[in-house]
Amino acid sequence: MEKFKSIIRDYPFIAFIIAFVILAFVPSVVFTDVYQSHLATLIFVNIVVAAGLNIVKGYCGQVTVGHVGLFAVGSYTAGTLFLYLGLGFWATLPIAIIVTAIFGVAMGIPSFRLEGPYLALATLGGGEAIRLFIENGNFFRSTFGISDIPTPSLMGYNFDSPDRYYFISMTIMIIAVYFSFSILRSGVGRAFMSIREDPICAAAAGINVKKYKILAFILSAMFAGAAGAVYAHMPPGYIHPNNYTVIEMVTFLAMVVLGGLGHIWGGIIGAIVITIVYDLTRPLYKYQLLIFGLTIVLTILFMPKGLGGFIDRYFLEKRFKKKTGTEKTT
Amino acid sequence: MILKTKQLSKSFGGLKAINKVDFELPKNEIRGIIGPNGSGKSTFFNLVSGIYDSDPGSYIEFDGHDITFAPPHEIATYGLSRTFQLLRLYQDMTVIDNVMSGYHTRVPYKFFDAVIGRKKIWDQERAIKEEMMELLSFVGLADYAELNASELSGGQRRLLVLARAIAMKPKLLMLDEPAAGLSPVNVDNLMKIIMQLKEKYGLTLIIIEHILKVVMDTCNSVTVFDHGQKIAEGTPAQVKDDNAVIEAYLGKKMDDEEMRKALAV
Repeated sequence: MEKFKSIIRDYPFIAFIIAFVILAFVPSVVFTDVYQSHLATLIFVNIVVAAGLNIVKGYCGQVTVGHVGLFAVGSYTAGTLFLYLGLGFWATLPIAIIVTAIFGVAMGIPSFRLEGPYLALATLGGGEAIRLFIENGNFFRSTFGISDIPTPSLMGYNFDSPDRYYFISMTIMIIAVYFSFSILRSGVGRAFMSIREDPICAAAAGINVKKYKILAFILSAMFAGAAGAVYAHMPPGYIHPNNYTVIEMVTFLAMVVLGGLGHIWGGIIGAIVITIVYDLTRPLYKYQLLIFGLTIVLTILFMPKGLGGFIDRYFLEKRFKKKTGTEKTT
Repeated sequence: MILKTKQLSKSFGGLKAINKVDFELPKNEIRGIIGPNGSGKSTFFNLVSGIYDSDPGSYIEFDGHDITFAPPHEIATYGLSRTFQLLRLYQDMTVIDNVMSGYHTRVPYKFFDAVIGRKKIWDQERAIKEEMMELLSFVGLADYAELNASELSGGQRRLLVLARAIAMKPKLLMLDEPAAGLSPVNVDNLMKIIMQLKEKYGLTLIIIEHILKVVMDTCNSVTVFDHGQKIAEGTPAQVKDDNAVIEAYLGKKMDDEEMRKALAV
């Protein structure tokens, strides 16, 4: 067991390969109908977005509320590339990631001057502008939406149903989470955190604040772009501007806040919980926004570090007690 | 000379916070900076570490580099580290993360290695962590490594800030009121640790401090600021007897004639 632990420590990707294998067996063992695979795909898409949002909001502390706009950029890059050039998933995914990264730079530039709620307002405007631009542009098929975006196929095998597409979304999710983990656990993650806590002190400690802020925006935009492309190609392959409203943004925010801002597992836990709750409360669709708004407020009030921080705290106190023999409760 | 300023000035509107200060600091010296509140000590620190831009005509040189217009993160890479009067602790990070973030300028690997997550990265990260744990146990905070920085007491926070500033292995360390708000016993303890760290890392120190005993006991030389100007410089003994210094701290000595006038009004 000790040896296994040290191998994982040195080669973390092995843990991700194990996770991949386990998740690959889930559909055939656990799932009873196709809808559950569809729901799982949605969870994976949300995990990718939330993991990216956690980088820029949770770690770097830049309050961005326009992330859903970047998600839309990813989706619509994939959609329009199919519509006009007939490109498939394997071509649209990398292009969507690059295009979204460029939009991420634009979204990040206000962060040089604005902070907190002011930055939130600026990025809210940015995100909404992107949606309105799509909704009113004939180039993007405006309110008709883009339909029949094809599912990917690999070596003659077509991932054309939800239970097959599951494998595509899962693979992208595993890779994205792996990247987010290695970024956040390295010195880059620490630099992000110091900027969140105190940009002036971070600068005095040798961290190039502007560079790292933009880097955080680019990274999270790339995550959103990848998620957007996966979402666009998801069967039945239909995207519409109404899928990228402020309501979706609130859901993404609720995921990161509930999971734990600045916790490495934050976005992932939150995405799983919120997506499932969202699905279960579908009959109460009138009250869904109320539920998520309340979730954000209550989490911030009673569990400021989210579920992730809550679990961490429990184990930390146990370890501290074992080490020093004293109770530490603050 | 490790640090040299010529005609250093900074004005906020009409207020000259720093007015034409020439300052020279040889290597391995411990320099104290004293002066009444608002005399420009902290502004001087902010100018040197690049947090404020100095007025045109100023010149700052650090260790052979012209840093007059350099941004703070560049100055830090040349080996200048500082602490802040208000600590600016990373409250929501663990103690060990606080110290490790001070290591930033010395992190050996590149960004793309970190994204891919090669084995090399984790080895180096562990080596950094070990080194920083050593530093933490040196200042006596090793037991608290995994707690949040906000859970530390006032004295422990001062030690943590000191450790974080040392983590980058600076050539010059500037301490802004390191002992403010500590009890006399803790002040002695802190100064002992600072002296040990100076020996260990071969630091040059500049200390702003209001506790004159600390300055007089530990510093090789003292600079006195008043109204943004350097009014005296020399060994602690020289400065103590300087008329300008006494005037700045206690007020002007009046002769009988002036006294009579002042009382008549």
